[in-house]
Amino acid sequence: MAEKRVATKEKRITIKATRFDPEKDEKPRLQSYDIPFTDESMVVLDALNHIKSYVDGSLSYRWSCRMGICGSCGMMVNGTPKLTCSAFLRDYWPRPIVVEPLTNFPIIRDLVIDMDDFLHKLKSVQPWIIRKQEMPLGAGEHLQTPAQIDDFRQFSQCINCMLCYAACPVYGLDDTFLGPAAIALARRYNLDSRDQGLKQRLPVIAQPEGVWECSFVGECSVVCPKGVDPAKAIQQSKLDTTLRFTLPYGNRD
Amino acid sequence: MPAGWWLRKRHYVLYIVREFTALPMALWLLWLLYDVKSAGAGPSAFQPPRSIGFVVFSAVCLAFATYHSYTFLKLAGVIIHVKLFDRPVPPTVIVLTMFGLWALASIAIGAVLIGFAR
Repeated sequence: MAEKRVATKEKRITIKATRFDPEKDEKPRLQSYDIPFTDESMVVLDALNHIKSYVDGSLSYRWSCRMGICGSCGMMVNGTPKLTCSAFLRDYWPRPIVVEPLTNFPIIRDLVIDMDDFLHKLKSVQPWIIRKQEMPLGAGEHLQTPAQIDDFRQFSQCINCMLCYAACPVYGLDDTFLGPAAIALARRYNLDSRDQGLKQRLPVIAQPEGVWECSFVGECSVVCPKGVDPAKAIQQSKLDTTLRFTLPYGNRD
Repeated sequence: MPAGWWLRKRHYVLYIVREFTALPMALWLLWLLYDVKSAGAGPSAFQPPRSIGFVVFSAVCLAFATYHSYTFLKLAGVIIHVKLFDRPVPPTVIVLTMFGLWALASIAIGAVLIGFAR
């Protein structure tokens, strides 16, 4: 009988989530929630949604697609930046899971961070196709070969989840650093055969707070959920900007 | 960030070790520059240190330099993006080429130094 009772006992897991109300709290604190772990496919985001729906409706966090595409639900899970929709409870159970807002960003409330700095940096690299002269619509599409698409495809997979910024100690120590995702995005457009905006992006990416601030820790690429490899984009940009500066005719279009 | 941020993850620790290995190398190179300057003043002014302590320090510097070079060249495949016959050269080929050039350069420098010593 005792064995049967144990077998039917509900599996549970402890979630320790950061709580912070700027109007009441001086600093963030952790609050524990003991919730049912009913399904092996449950992810940390499911646990947070359970808390929000059944335990404490005041818990604040961002999420949207629940399938690793929107990039909204990035948080620190046991100290590592992760998309909570892709972090399975089964990988942590029976140990408790500490869920905190992404490091290196100001906290607005609970697990919600202020994205303004990131968005400003993203916009500063002009992440869109720039043409010296727009072709008329009647001229048709800008055609590309598969090889030309392969040149930049990897860097176009970024979902702006900001995990790379949370993993980057350089950004943590100096937030003037342009950061991994913004540079990877600049690289994506600079490698695009349809784009002609390299010289407009260079003043941003080639400045000291751009690629040269990076000391190649490489953790940005480790935590990237989409395999973008921002560290690669940054190092390649370093080499490119150096060659443009040093080689004869290196700076020509 | 807290001062001990680099202790949080193994990857961060390895990064700090990689960066730290440059420091003793810099000290050793400063000594080398000083010795080159002394040699310029004639054989009597050139007195390289021969103590056991300095030999140990040099051996440690050599180990650090080897590790630093290894980590640097290992990353060459990530950094260098070249195409041959319109196809990207695989990172493994780039890394192996770099290590090959490193070995050749080491042999050439070693041969020159031994040649001068004779």
